Amino acid sequence: MDVEEMKKNADFLINTMKGMDIHGSATVNVRYKNMVNFAKVYGITDPKYVGSEEQGIIACHAFANYFTIKAIYKLLLGVKLNQNGKERGIMLDPGKLLHAGNRYNWEGCVDVKPGDKLIVTGKCIDVRLVEKNMMLFTDFLVNVKNQDNEPVCNITISAGFRKGGY
Amino acid sequence: MVRMSDLKVGQMIKNEFKGITRDLLKQYAKASGDTNPIHINEVVAKRAGLKGVIAHGLLSFGFITKLFEDFLEHGKYGKIIDIGVQMRGMVRCGDLLVTEATIEKIEGKRVQYDIIQTTFTNVDIKDNDGNLVKQFEAGERGYISEKDIERGLVKTKEVSEGILTYRERVATPGKAIIELYE
Repeated sequence: MDVEEMKKNADFLINTMKGMDIHGSATVNVRYKNMVNFAKVYGITDPKYVGSEEQGIIACHAFANYFTIKAIYKLLLGVKLNQNGKERGIMLDPGKLLHAGNRYNWEGCVDVKPGDKLIVTGKCIDVRLVEKNMMLFTDFLVNVKNQDNEPVCNITISAGFRKGGY
Repeated sequence: MVRMSDLKVGQMIKNEFKGITRDLLKQYAKASGDTNPIHINEVVAKRAGLKGVIAHGLLSFGFITKLFEDFLEHGKYGKIIDIGVQMRGMVRCGDLLVTEATIEKIEGKRVQYDIIQTTFTNVDIKDNDGNLVKQFEAGERGYISEKDIERGLVKTKEVSEGILTYRERVATPGKAIIELYE
């Protein structure tokens, strides 16, 4: 793909996606086992996060990674766009995707517990092309709420697409 | 016990993790659902030009949340409000991952930290005559680039077996805000 085509594709994505609500939502069923396995990766031993199911536990903060990945795989990679009559995804080659950054905000949020059913929705808040290296950067705001519509976490995911990836 | 009156700008908290292995990456992939093969499959990672598997960017993030959870004794003295990071450098198996958070600002009961996550990657150990005593994965596979050398990231230090060459690189800078209860 030449530079002109990349610029055209970048313009299309900037004009189409900036401010766009991502269609649909992803559901994440939280299981006790997932939460404990996640905490164990980090060697967490506090019973608040890895205690028995009967005692009751909450998710460690790193567990936010779990729903971030679900958001990326189920929501963002599933976006279908129409460019000149042809259907395409946000990226043309997932191998060119770089996870550039993440911001998690838990202000006013409730804990995640086993049995929770999390609803993940997203919005594209920015798309920009860095012409120096032809990297296309996108920022997505992802809201995560539980089955009672209580906020669980608000995440900003920054992703970069290398040449040929958009 | 953590109280507002004990905290001052410039104070630092820190954790170190030396256990990044291929098994841990597989364990994380399974736990997180991030099964991108560049993290768990050598062949795919090499085909992607990475010279070997790299750690998940979000795996490192978990050591930042753990640092604050431990500091706040798991919610006993306060809560985590916000953490934002940029993923700048790849983390490899065998790396020492050091997470440091330094107080930048204190406003009311909120404390803002500047976060730096640094990787220490061992390359090799040579004796005083320059003979190779031990080579690490980074040396064998050529993880260290010319750019790393130009940027002054490759350093040496004396260890018991000889002179250790290693790379010290910031992998994940970021910011965090916590709120204390008193």
